[in-house]
Amino acid sequence: MIPERLKASLKREFHQSLLAKVGLGLLILILFLALFAPILATHDPTTSRYWDDQGNSYPPLGITYDTEIAQEGERVEYTVEPTTEHLLGTNNVGEDIYSKFLYGARTSLLVGFFGTGLAVLMGVPFGLIAGYYGGRVDDSMMRVADIMLAFPSLVLAVALIGVLGAATIPIPDPIVMAGFAEDMPEYMILPGSVTIVVALVTWVWFARVARGEAMAIRSEEYVKAARSMGASNRRILVTHVLPNSLTPVIVLATIQVAAIILLESSLSYLGFSGTTLSWGYEIQQGQAYLSTQWWIATIPGIGIVLAVIGINLLGDWLRDSLDPNIEGEHGG
Amino acid sequence: MSQYQFILRRLLQGILVIWGVVTLVFLLRYMTPGNPVDFVAPLDAGQETRDQVAADLGLDQPVYVQYFDYLFGLIQGDMGYSFIRSQPASSIIFARLPATIELALAATIVAIIFSIPLGVISATRRHEPADYAATSFSLVGISTPNFWLGIMLILLVSVGLGILPTSRRPIGFVPAMEMFIFQLEIQGIRTWIAHMILPAVTLGTYFTAMIVRLTRSGMLDELGKSYVLATRAKGVPETLVRYKHVLRNTMIPIITVLGLQLGTLIGGAVITEFVFNWPGLGTLIINAIDVRDWPIIQGSLIVIGVGFVIINIAVDALYAKLNPKVSYE
Repeated sequence: MIPERLKASLKREFHQSLLAKVGLGLLILILFLALFAPILATHDPTTSRYWDDQGNSYPPLGITYDTEIAQEGERVEYTVEPTTEHLLGTNNVGEDIYSKFLYGARTSLLVGFFGTGLAVLMGVPFGLIAGYYGGRVDDSMMRVADIMLAFPSLVLAVALIGVLGAATIPIPDPIVMAGFAEDMPEYMILPGSVTIVVALVTWVWFARVARGEAMAIRSEEYVKAARSMGASNRRILVTHVLPNSLTPVIVLATIQVAAIILLESSLSYLGFSGTTLSWGYEIQQGQAYLSTQWWIATIPGIGIVLAVIGINLLGDWLRDSLDPNIEGEHGG
Repeated sequence: MSQYQFILRRLLQGILVIWGVVTLVFLLRYMTPGNPVDFVAPLDAGQETRDQVAADLGLDQPVYVQYFDYLFGLIQGDMGYSFIRSQPASSIIFARLPATIELALAATIVAIIFSIPLGVISATRRHEPADYAATSFSLVGISTPNFWLGIMLILLVSVGLGILPTSRRPIGFVPAMEMFIFQLEIQGIRTWIAHMILPAVTLGTYFTAMIVRLTRSGMLDELGKSYVLATRAKGVPETLVRYKHVLRNTMIPIITVLGLQLGTLIGGAVITEFVFNWPGLGTLIINAIDVRDWPIIQGSLIVIGVGFVIINIAVDALYAKLNPKVSYE
């Protein structure tokens, strides 16, 4: 898939690049949190009403906040103390913030990886066919791409969610199924509509990159040789054009995972994802409590930023070492 | 092909794309489950009323008639009536447009003011603390979701320091200027600026970060070229070399990428508006989707798509103007 020469250069660059290591470290950390969320979580993230005796949500360890409670018919000042039971406190509906953070990582990565995969599956064949055949086929296929590009991806995504509705797909949680974690949700929730929608609004970038590659590759000697030996277009596309165009696709895919995570968080912030186990949704919930319980909206945002920084650093490293000329749209 | 032929051709392509946009937007609504009559007709309406409503909306016609009706309506500026507020969709949409344009422009200005100097400093002081600061800022900037950044700014600036309002837009730029010019009253402009700062910084940060990255890498590329050495050898002052020669050549790829990223600006505006309760197209479209007010959704999408196509053509023309080497193909 990646030629030996490039592999060597990737390795060399990686050893030189501290940033690439930081990026990989961050990504591994988030992957670890997401994968083992049921084991690491202290509470079922969908269970609410973890309040103190007075019905207040807990602050994170080391923080207190003032509120008012009713006592014998009067409002009196009251200071809410944290509890070791809830490390990062509980949110406005009394869910454990730490456990929700872990499950939020899952949702982000699930949508990031599935969404990017779907976009690659849609965009790459489209682009390869357009670039390989060229001429009228290319023209009409690229006009379709232009129309998709005429909409900002977030705007189109929001409109498509309007069409599809916010459907979700439950996936059995392997760790819970295997009996490693008790009292945790048995299903992971993949926001299905969101995954499809992010793929629908980002596949065009893959199509453009694949098209550019196919246009360059179709005039290579080995393609001409294959053709003169009577290989069919389909065979040439699959055995020659596809493998040789993968390098920039891999770089773009890395960057797009980050863009899609940002897009997913935006959609769930707007309330379109259909699951409450999402960093974006949690931020929306916390926004109303900024003046008293600022941590509810702050903590999930840190998760998004760390995940996206990690992936962007890896993407930068891949792009610098493989050096393809590609453009892509970042989300945000 | 001359420059004008090039621009003309881009215009024709643009019209084709706009037609595609309109068709796609029409199809979106057509594919959506749910009968619009349910939204418009009163809940207790009998079959007769419902048929009447369907006829009013043109829903009793075959699809292709509905499509051409919609298309010809659009050409005359008719986007239909809002399902919820029985006003023409176009007047609701165009009333919201200035707020979004002001926000996008303010963000662009923020981005240009901060990014180009930062990028230049970063490139000319490579591997110095200033460079590390600028590159770290830009990495965090492109990795932060702007709605969260907006909320953090509200937390720090409005809640924490108690300065700057957290939301809404009590006055537009034009009325504020009118107040100033005709009544010599500065209050309007002050209110406008106070409400604009946080949203503009929120939306502008991503672009600042991105342009810093582009300027830095572009300038580093250019600084390594032999003409820089030649210019320096002629005794041209370093400032002039950097800003006149190098930066100018760096601007060309920056403009191209910015053109491509305008979508992110408009998309970002949508969500920034939501954070700050800003009465622009973004909040309009999101609220319309919640209640399935399709004429508003469709109209807003078309306005955004058309605006986007026009801006892209303008960027192409500017690009052709700046770069004498461009081939008009």
